[in-house]
Amino acid sequence: MMQSPSQSGTFVRAEPLLMARGVSKHFGKTRALVDASLTLRPGEVTGLLGANGAGKSTLSRIVSGHIQPTGGALEFDGGPLALSSTRDALRQGIALVAQETSLAPDLSVLENIFLPNLATPGRLSFRNMRARATDLLAGLGHEHVLPLDAEVRTLSAAQRQLVEIAKALALDARLVIFDEPTASLSTTEVDGLFDIMDRLRESGRALAFVSHRLEEVFAITDRVTILREGQVVAEDVATSSLTQGDIIQHMVGRDIGAIYSERNVAPDAVGDTVFEVRGLKAAPWVRDMSFSVRAGEILGLGGLVGAGRSEAMEAIWGLRTKQAGEVLVKGQPVSLRKPADAVRAGIGFVAEDRRAQNIVPDLSVRENLLLAQMGQHRSFWRGYGRRAEKVAALVAELGLPADRLDTSLLNYSGGMQQKIIIARWLLTEPDILILDEPTKGVDIGTRSSIYRILQRAADAGLAVIVISSDFEELLGLAERIVVVSDGVTIADLPAARLTEEKLTLLAAPRSSTQRNQLLLQDITQAHGGDAFWTLLDGDETICLAQAGQALSGLQPGQAAVAQQTSIPQAIRARAAAFVVEVDGRASLLTQMTDRRGHDLGWIGLTLPAGIPVPDPAEIRTRIQNLAQTEDAHV
Amino acid sequence: MSDTTLTPKGPSMMGTVLRSLEVRMLGLALLLAVVLSFASPFFLTERNIFNILDQSVVIGIVAVGMTFVILTGGIDLSVGAVFGLTGIILAQALQVMPIPLAIPLGILAGAGIGLFSGVLIAVFGLAPFVVTLGVMAIGRSLSFIFSGQRSISGLPPELDAIVYTTFFGVPVNVLFLIGLYLVTWGYLTYTKGGRTIYAIGSNFEAARAAGLSTMYYSIMPYVVSGALAAVAVTFSLAQIMSADPLAGNQLELDAIAAVVIGGASLYGGRGSIIGTLLGVLIMVMIRNGLNLMGVSPFWQGTAIGSIIILALLAERLINWRSSRS
Repeated sequence: MMQSPSQSGTFVRAEPLLMARGVSKHFGKTRALVDASLTLRPGEVTGLLGANGAGKSTLSRIVSGHIQPTGGALEFDGGPLALSSTRDALRQGIALVAQETSLAPDLSVLENIFLPNLATPGRLSFRNMRARATDLLAGLGHEHVLPLDAEVRTLSAAQRQLVEIAKALALDARLVIFDEPTASLSTTEVDGLFDIMDRLRESGRALAFVSHRLEEVFAITDRVTILREGQVVAEDVATSSLTQGDIIQHMVGRDIGAIYSERNVAPDAVGDTVFEVRGLKAAPWVRDMSFSVRAGEILGLGGLVGAGRSEAMEAIWGLRTKQAGEVLVKGQPVSLRKPADAVRAGIGFVAEDRRAQNIVPDLSVRENLLLAQMGQHRSFWRGYGRRAEKVAALVAELGLPADRLDTSLLNYSGGMQQKIIIARWLLTEPDILILDEPTKGVDIGTRSSIYRILQRAADAGLAVIVISSDFEELLGLAERIVVVSDGVTIADLPAARLTEEKLTLLAAPRSSTQRNQLLLQDITQAHGGDAFWTLLDGDETICLAQAGQALSGLQPGQAAVAQQTSIPQAIRARAAAFVVEVDGRASLLTQMTDRRGHDLGWIGLTLPAGIPVPDPAEIRTRIQNLAQTEDAHV
Repeated sequence: MSDTTLTPKGPSMMGTVLRSLEVRMLGLALLLAVVLSFASPFFLTERNIFNILDQSVVIGIVAVGMTFVILTGGIDLSVGAVFGLTGIILAQALQVMPIPLAIPLGILAGAGIGLFSGVLIAVFGLAPFVVTLGVMAIGRSLSFIFSGQRSISGLPPELDAIVYTTFFGVPVNVLFLIGLYLVTWGYLTYTKGGRTIYAIGSNFEAARAAGLSTMYYSIMPYVVSGALAAVAVTFSLAQIMSADPLAGNQLELDAIAAVVIGGASLYGGRGSIIGTLLGVLIMVMIRNGLNLMGVSPFWQGTAIGSIIILALLAERLINWRSSRS
């Protein structure tokens, strides 16, 4: 039915490799997926889009045999497909490259690539495996970058993903599903991944790409299927026929602005600094983090997965040992050795992993609500009765089911559970509330009500810190964003100055920006003066890195408008030649774009007044060459 | 609010499940009583009922400590050996000091052994199974050494007052047992410590992150368990007036069985002291009934083992059915 020629009429699209029809999945009475359809064709990348909890992971896990559907049919390569396990799927040539990799960290790269082969009878030939692994990696364009004997635990997130992909190819996978593969990758690493996906597409494999980052969807996919609340709302649509707005409309089903209700904070409504962290160190993840938050303010802590944000919070919370750093509550240094100390200091903490760190499954909803207040007070008794009124008021305010407080928390959806956990901390009446990925696995309706809860709490004077990898969420919710990269706080900027693109560049791991740092040093060594790497947007600058003398007035991690710097003329002109300011300093600004045309920011050089300027063309070529070369690691 | 996405998974509510589990156990106990009273005309006599209660004292006291431990997700295999060792310590102490000093000394010794296990488990993170297995071996070995490999008799005759004194016709050891269960029920239900023990067993990380004293309440159950083993042996000594280094052999299995029959999960977080009491009564009634019917004691293990397995199997089948409907 779908073999109609493409609109240009010049070629016929391939027969579908996989078709899912009317697939549904119920968990108890929760309907995670209702009557969903999916078509994947050889030589195409299909984006599987949807907000958190829309069912895209459920659908990809059904196709890869991780879970079995409640109803519906799968068809693979023209025949019916019934999968009872991932092994079945792998045997058919369907592989899933998951968000959290399924690799064995103690085994070598080679052993991991051929891990499924360990389950087959007969002897293994390591020599053959080695030869095949080299071939596979060569086919991906990465034959020399991955040591086959390295233990997987020593690899970076991007390298692990490469192993995961090689593992899929070792099984001759014809269909590869990438489940949010870019969540922990820097911009250059994402480009590397897309190169690999291009190669797989050209080799005639069918690819599915699960993501909620729209930019990436437009960069890599040919078609998209969009899910919302368990249902397919747009099936197998050509990506080129859609705009970002269309996709958002489909994903959200309403105006995006409605999710983040605008919060108008009068400048004087924000109070004193109530919480401050200075020079926090908790090896190996947290190296040097400092930030502060004021009463009535929502602070976002942004960065990639694995940047050390959660680990920093756990160190503050006394769940991890810290080597250095000071924590101040209302200006007073406090020693938080265990969670109880933090609870009593007036801090609340909604940890990242709901199931593992927050929910007590055998206790009722009421007891779960009252858990943190028990950690807070020092009485011998449990103290439920005395807090009954507060519980009732909070339950009414948050829209929790008052008549079902004595039932199991496990009967509720992830979103409702999350609201209950947040209520648990509001009940302790904290001065500071820290939330780590508060909307992970939460449906979109509950998401916006969680935002409203947080905004209302902030309006009442609570200082809120939100950690999120979802940059859109950070920008929509927080007034100020502190960016973390490789365990270091590198920028502290008002959210109004930022966009998703700028955040992505700021959050890139330091390892991947080292090249640029070296470039800046090279330039200052060759020419003297002040070299810097900055983002430019109209009159606004956000400096990412700097080397040499301080001449430009740009400081790493700081935002400034042109007239606040020492080189306003150059910033406004963005000329191909050196621009001389009133006081005689001369500056050259050159834009970097990568091979895919992404803006990587601007490299600038400012020289003091009165010295001869070098040839701008030479510097520009050098910068542009660097931007276009392949990054050393993936 | 419009977004109260309520998605109950099954009809069973946790509170109802716990209550209905206890109701089922009570039903099983009553059924057993009816069957046994038909099987033996002596079963339902007042004298035999007091007999059953009397026989419940030792295992009932030890099972309380075991409930604390199992609720946190641990296990205490050492209670039988601690029972034997503290019995020897108490008997030796009674040779040289008055009763009111000797008894607290024995209990202190039991608590000390529990503290040792608890610290190894909670502070050093060793597996409860292995730690208490080691303590079991040490305890049994020391009780042979401290006793000189023989039973110690010649205990002061006044000791039997703690068993044979009666109030309103009820012997004091049975009164103690009832009081212990009442206090434990109150503690586990209404105090922060009791709720913390449940929370630790259900999700240790969450309990810790919520600021509860997880370290303290991970150690405390082992101290309670050790101390109660010593309390139990005190009553036992007063009854038989002699301390045997082998006393309490396999007592840990009886105690674990009683707790598990009472509906507790060995993973922790689930169970109740009322369930444990019913578990104890069921076990003692079976033994008592088989004795009355003249069944060989060698068959009793088979009978009790089968009932444990059948009770658990029935419970699992009921849960499966209710979760599927």
